[in-house]
Parts: sequence; C-alpha cells; structure tokens
Amino acid sequence: MHRILLLTFLILLSPTAIGQAPPDQPKQSEPTVRPIASKHPHHRMHIDLDGMVMNENSETLPEGCERIAGEAEITVHAGRTHARRFNGKIFAFDQQQWDVEPCTRLRITLINDDDIRHQWMIHELPVYLHPPFGMFTIELNGKGQKTGTLITPKEKKTYLVHCDLPQHMENGMKAQLKVAGGDGDLSSIPGLTAEETPDRYPVEWPNQAYALLGIAAFTGITIPFLLGGVLRKRNGASPTDRWEKDKDEA
Amino acid sequence: MSHSKRLILLFCSILSFAAAALLFPGAEGESSVTAPATLPPAQPSSEDLVPPCRNKKRAAWRDEQVIEDVPISASPACEPDNPNAVTAFVKGTDRVAMETLMRTRLARDTLIKSDDRDGDGDPDVIRIVLEVIELNGSTPDGDYLFPTYAIAPGIQPGLWVFAPKTRGMAVKHAFTDEANEMLRAPSPVIRVEQGDTVMITLENTHYFPHSIHLHGVDHPWRDAAGHYNDGVPQTGERRVLPGERKTYTITPRQPGTMFYHCHVQTDTHLMMGLNGMFVVEENRPDNWLQTFNVGAGHVRHSSAAVKERYDREYDLHYQALDKELGAIIQSANDPRLIAKAMNREYDLTDATEDYYLLNGHAFPYTLRDALIVAKPDENVKLRVVNAQHGLLALHFHGHKATVTALDGVEQPPGLQVTRDVFDLAPAQRLDLHLQTSDDGLHGYGPGIWLFHDHVESGITTNGMNPGGNISALVYEEFLSEQGMPAVAASIVQPLFSKRFQAGQAPVWQQGEAARLYGDVAPLFPSTGRVIAAGLLVGIGFCLLVIVFRSFSRSR
Repeated sequence: MHRILLLTFLILLSPTAIGQAPPDQPKQSEPTVRPIASKHPHHRMHIDLDGMVMNENSETLPEGCERIAGEAEITVHAGRTHARRFNGKIFAFDQQQWDVEPCTRLRITLINDDDIRHQWMIHELPVYLHPPFGMFTIELNGKGQKTGTLITPKEKKTYLVHCDLPQHMENGMKAQLKVAGGDGDLSSIPGLTAEETPDRYPVEWPNQAYALLGIAAFTGITIPFLLGGVLRKRNGASPTDRWEKDKDEA
Repeated sequence: MSHSKRLILLFCSILSFAAAALLFPGAEGESSVTAPATLPPAQPSSEDLVPPCRNKKRAAWRDEQVIEDVPISASPACEPDNPNAVTAFVKGTDRVAMETLMRTRLARDTLIKSDDRDGDGDPDVIRIVLEVIELNGSTPDGDYLFPTYAIAPGIQPGLWVFAPKTRGMAVKHAFTDEANEMLRAPSPVIRVEQGDTVMITLENTHYFPHSIHLHGVDHPWRDAAGHYNDGVPQTGERRVLPGERKTYTITPRQPGTMFYHCHVQTDTHLMMGLNGMFVVEENRPDNWLQTFNVGAGHVRHSSAAVKERYDREYDLHYQALDKELGAIIQSANDPRLIAKAMNREYDLTDATEDYYLLNGHAFPYTLRDALIVAKPDENVKLRVVNAQHGLLALHFHGHKATVTALDGVEQPPGLQVTRDVFDLAPAQRLDLHLQTSDDGLHGYGPGIWLFHDHVESGITTNGMNPGGNISALVYEEFLSEQGMPAVAASIVQPLFSKRFQAGQAPVWQQGEAARLYGDVAPLFPSTGRVIAAGLLVGIGFCLLVIVFRSFSRSR
C-alpha cells in the first residue's frame, strides 16, 4: 500500500524534473533545495541532504476562501531540550498550540535543535490541496531549518501536528493548530490536555497523608454527633433518642 | 422461635449450601457410553486468515533487472527486497537518481559513498546512518500499538531495531499503523569492503540511550580523533542520549562475517532486537557493495569475491524474543517507568524466550521472505549469526553443508567440516558452503527441504509448533508462481491464521484428521446434578431467610 504514496510522488514528478539527473558529486556540491515536482506548480516537494518539504501549497485557494485573507508566520523549534518542561517526555516542540485565522497563508519555519531527524507533520488538510492524504510535512535530517507554506482552510478546525518518527509523538512531540479557534482539543498534548490512556504511577503514603487520613476519620466520627445536635435542636430529640424510643414502643 | 431451633435451621441451611457445592457440576465431566462429538472446524473468516502471499504488486520486484547500471539478481520469493532500495544501497542514497530514491523510503543522507582512494573503481569512504526504531510500541492516545510489525499472523511483540535512516511517515500510508518496509526486524545486515574507511553514525531517534558495539569487526578502541569507538559505556564512552548522534570510525583490515549490537544494558537491548550482521567483504576492484540488506535474506547484489565462488548468497539472522520483555514497552509510555521495569524489575535469569525469528519473521511468515531458493548443482553462500539467547543447532533437511569460516575467520581446508547440524553459541557466526548437487552427500536432489533450529524450542512460537525459525530450501521448480513453496493451499492456508497462532485452532485440521483430532464438543453439564444443586441452593437460602425473619419478629 505504501506504493500509493510512491506512485503519487511519481505522478507529481514532471518529465523535466526526472531528466535532471542527480548530481554525481559529493555532498558539498549538491544544491540545498531541489524542487522536483511541477505538475501542480504549487504542490511541490523539495528534498535534499538536509531533509524535505512535502506537499506545500502557497497559491491554491481552499474552497470557500475568496482570497488570501492574510499572511502569518510561525517558527517552531523541535528537540529534546524543549521537552524538559514536561515530566516523562523526551521530545517536544517549543510550542504546543498555534492559532491561525482561516484563508491565511501560513509560513512555517521548523528549526531542529537535535542531531537526529524531526518532522512538523500536519494531517487532515483538504486532500485536493495536499494530495493524496491531506498531509503537509517539513522534515529535517538533523540540526538546521526549513520553511514551508500552506493556506489554512475556511472551516473552524483543530489539526494534529506531530513528528511521525516512532515514539516521538508518543514521547511528547505533539501539538495542535487551531484554525478560526479550532473545533476542540486533541488528547495528550504536553502541558495542555490529558492522555487517552494515561500511565499508572506508584502511590506512596508520606506522614502528611496519614495525618490527613486521621483528621478525616476524626471529622467522620464527629459528624453524627454534630448532626444529632442540630436535629435535636430542631425536633427536640436526637435520632438516637428516637430510635431508643421506637424500640421501647415495639 | 427459640435459639436452639434457629441454630438447627442455620445448620441445615449451611448443610444445603455445602451439598449444593459438592453436587455442582465441575469444569470436566465423564461422557456416557458415546464420547462427545468433534467440533466442526471454524469457518474461515477474513479477520482470521492472512493471505500467504499478499504482495502481488511486488511481482515485478522479483525479476532480474538493472537499475541505474546496477545489476540486481532475480529474487523469486513472495516478498523480495525492493530493487530500488538495493540500487540505493549500492550507489549511495546521495548519488542514486531522485526517481529511484522516491521509490524507497530512504533519506538523502542515509548512505554516502565517496573517495576511491586505491583507484580500483569503487568508493572507499562509506558514511552510514542508522536510526533506532521501536516497533509495536505503545501510545498515550489509545489502546493500540504503533507502528505495527507482525512476526507471524496476529503476533506483534514490542521490539527495537536499528534501521537505515528513512524519511516521511513511519507507516506504509496514512490510513494504516503498519510500519513501512524499511522498518522491520532484524536490524539490517551491513556490508563494507576490507580497507574501506567506514563511518557509522548512530542517530538516536529512540527515547532510551543506546550505542553500537562492532563485535568481531576490526576497530580501534579509540578512533584517530581520540573518541571512544567500542560502544561500551563502562569503559568510558558516553551513552548516546535521545536526539544525539555518535559516529564510529573504522577501517577493517580483515574480511569476515561479524556482528554489531547495542552495548547499553546489553542483556535487554540486544534481546529487544538491537543487533545485526556486519559483513566485511574481501577487497576487489570495482567492488560496489550492497551496503544494507534490510530484513537480511537474499543478497541481490553480491560482492565480487562472493560472485567468484558462489551462485547465490543468503544472510540468515537468528533471533529470539521474550514476550514479557517486549510487553514492558507496551505497558507504559513514561520512559522512567519503562526504564525501571526493564533495568531493575525484569530478571533475565528468570526469563524464557517465546518467539524465535529467522530474518525477522517466525514460521509461516518465514516462507514469504526467508526462503533459500536454488537450482540443482549450484554453490550457495550462507552467512549465519546466532543472536538468540541460547544455543542454535542449525539443521538442513536433505543437505550437508560445509563450514568455510567461523566468527569471520576462514578455516583451513582440513577444518572445513561437512555436516548437517551446526551448533552456534550466542553471538557466533558461521559461513557455510551449501552445494545443491545430488550426490547423496551434499544433497539428495531437488525438493522443498526445511531448515531449522534443532534445539526444539526454536521451532515453536509461544511454545507451539510449527512456528519459530522454520524455513525452507526450495528448488526453483518447487516454487509457486507467487514465490511460495508449491505446497497445497489446504496445507499452507490454515497456518496463516491468527486463531491458529494464538493456539485457538487444532494443529491437525485437514481432511479426516480434522474429525480424528479436532476440538471435542463440550459436554452438557449433568442434568441431575444441575437440578439437585439448584434445589439445594434454594432450600438453603429459604432456611436462611426464615432464621433472619425470626429475629426481626422476636424484636
């Protein structure tokens, strides 16, 4: 099934782009960005030794947008150091949520602060703008930065943004992009929302917990007496008195 | 009611309950004159059965072909390696045409080859990037695993692998959780040429620290720049933490079949799958090597030295997994919880292995991509590594192979023994020369000949046979069109069943055997006992109520 994706890439390849043989030279002389897709002039894919920008769209208007309503720009850092704020997480973006207006041309610059691969991958965008899966991705092979563009759709919606390397989203590299305020929150966004299937952590009883238990127990003992006093004042007799009385009558 | 009457009633009530318990029908019973019938075999369902060979689209990958001037030999098995990836592994991911690279999942900087230092027509400086990938790991987003990798139908143990650096999604496409073809067990075979300067960069994409230890490969303890090069934290090397990279630089002087593995918490990290075969090929002119053999198995572009002496070459990676160890990464997400469970609570001395894999798969999935395919009168080169926790006793049906090298060291002619069981201690390697000549010694003629571990636990999956590392040496004339051993579908299909793998279906389920050895229809519980137990429970309960009511009346 992965061939669907590969086929799509191939469809996007223009004959001229294929004709450009890769430079048969060592790393230094390869151009930093080499566009290889041009059938849809704005759905381009750039790939080089530093990473790739896949499926960007800077011109085609989403359905319902009459014009580009505005320009916006975000800079996202990715890496291990950004997860230090979140206990039990390893990787993170420096921000976990971005709010953008609809029909806005959004330029995203991803800065990778780690020496390994990270992605800024967004899902469920309109498939006609980002074929074949409605995804847009910036990927960096290591330290460095890349910029890509998309145009936000008209609808009020919350989009998943993550790094798809195994265990990167699971370990904290998850965020959400809200267009027009979004239509809710996603789960497991570090520092923002609870996890769907949270871990079970050990519980320990320090002295304070025992003290709290003691106070609660003492309070529990006093409640019937206090209640009794209140009722006696109101009815002239405590519930215990009345119970004794009922028993005698029986 | 007097106290004595109450006591008697209470006693009778208890007696009734006790009698009911005694008479209650048990989980097992005896049949009458006729034993119970055999349950009919379960109706096949698409949820349960997996197609034995599902990749019809890969048919074109099987042919002998030339991509970008790289000759790639035919690989007729059901799931051959992607020839585009083979081309990228021969030319380097930076030099291969973008069109070819796009047909793989590799990144542009995965493998860079340069500098023909000795002027013999092949590159001598090789830069390799490995990532660490978790397969079948857990997620805080729900009760599912990601990305999934099945070793056999329905079996997805948690495991880790080194993988060549890839790009894009970890999965096959946006609507599946199944890992893409590059992310699989075992960790890939790495092939370099004797005398090459090889820089192996570990990019730690995982949440735990890791390292690479080049077991048996000629490498200095410290490289020219003075950096630790042995991958061992206890002798000074800093563990490679998540997000960090570390390059190991070597110029191996001796050829041979070697090994590499993570040396951080080796007991668990090796057993989780962070180990692979490392081959140093003899130096020859114009010797462009297939640097990675993902999933091990057939080498579709062998080295010059191997081609001089052999018709085909196969890498055989034997590996075992403990399901309890793998379950640790599926039971929590917080790395601190996983670290505690794995490093301090898991005790390898109390552990047993459950899954035995050949080239990342257990039988019957081994039939898809771990076959040895040959024709009569051929010379086949086999490289074997035992990455299991215990002894491997590799046995070939119908053939006696000859040992040419042990642990990467060629054996003198007098020690090149010919036999049919080869014992390998953990981490040992073996080079074998398998001849498919029908001479009664090296071979007994064409057929579908099994080869497997003869330590019998090795041929089980979760304790059930047939499973484990069973695979087959298949002569081409015995291959089906799809590249599977030409065995009747009625024999093969029931094995590709999740129910069967889970032990829920009888082992013998074909023809008359299904009636003879199928599951027994459960007995109806003894009618008399059901009635008696029911009556006694009722009586006991009634007596209890009488006793309690007598108390409230007397008050």
